[in-house]
Amino acid sequence: MMTTKKEGYPKYAPGTKASGKDIANKNITHSWWEPEVQYSWSLGPAYSRFLQELKKGKIIGRTCKKCERVIVPPRMFCEYCYKPTDDWIYLKDTGKIETFSISYLDPNARRIKDPILIGVISIDGASPMHGFMHYFGEMSKDEIHIGMKVKAVWKPEKERTGSITDIKYFKPWKGGEK
Amino acid sequence: MTFFEKQTDPTTPMHWLGNMQADYLYPSGIAGDKLFKHIMKNDTFLAAKCPKCNKTYFPPRLYCEDCYSEIPNKEWFEIPATGKIKLYTIATIDTYGNKLENPKVIGMINIDKTDGLFLGVIKTDNLDENLQGKQVEAVFKSKNERDGTLKDILYFKKK
Repeated sequence: MMTTKKEGYPKYAPGTKASGKDIANKNITHSWWEPEVQYSWSLGPAYSRFLQELKKGKIIGRTCKKCERVIVPPRMFCEYCYKPTDDWIYLKDTGKIETFSISYLDPNARRIKDPILIGVISIDGASPMHGFMHYFGEMSKDEIHIGMKVKAVWKPEKERTGSITDIKYFKPWKGGEK
Repeated sequence: MTFFEKQTDPTTPMHWLGNMQADYLYPSGIAGDKLFKHIMKNDTFLAAKCPKCNKTYFPPRLYCEDCYSEIPNKEWFEIPATGKIKLYTIATIDTYGNKLENPKVIGMINIDKTDGLFLGVIKTDNLDENLQGKQVEAVFKSKNERDGTLKDILYFKKK
């Protein structure tokens, strides 16, 4: 602050108040640019097969005979044993919630009123702590808890594209029922 | 062995294609806002002259970058949208590396009555001609199409 008193030294420029409305109404001139940042991610044999099976409505994993693990999403190489994994194995589309988050931000970081429920599911039949991240549905933020049993809700077969979103979300499930 | 299990079906999803979202909003700032709002209504530019060292800025600035003194409002004045080509280059490929049908001339233009250089597209019929030092004038969009960005200036043409 001392420097502002020096002769010939400029005052700090006053800030201008602006809001999102000023941008939307074009009260403030601005440029808007959406760069095309395309990427192509090479899936490899394991993930390719995993997505193809999701298209068919199935979850597939890989087994390692040495450490007796069932790995999902599948891997072609066991990072514990340093050897190729051994066999494909179909798994159930049920599991339990390992961890979850109640998000009041949408994917574009905008605030939302109805929270998005998201978390990691340990898939039944796979080794403990093996599973993937997904949305939860048909449950409220008060019902969701760690250890909750869940089942996948699939998109209709025609709408599936070979993507993790071929499963719409995971819903609460009591063991045994279909 | 696992690694001999190769995929031979070309229709299998080998690659995941996506587009990363990286939107970009750039407000023009106090000085830029004033200039672009002026351009929206006029076919001329604005310049700002430093009261201390007499350096004339285009695009106009709030502060002199040489002597750090503030440039008050009264030092802003209207200038014609003309200039002299200082240097230029002829682009034969676009941003993505594709060959352009009509090569594009891009140049630094010394705007008249200012010390400022301005990057602009130059329209010319004769690419072999030496454009260095030639007088040019700005061609704007029609007034109702202007939206207060640099794109309001379409190109520069020889006077």
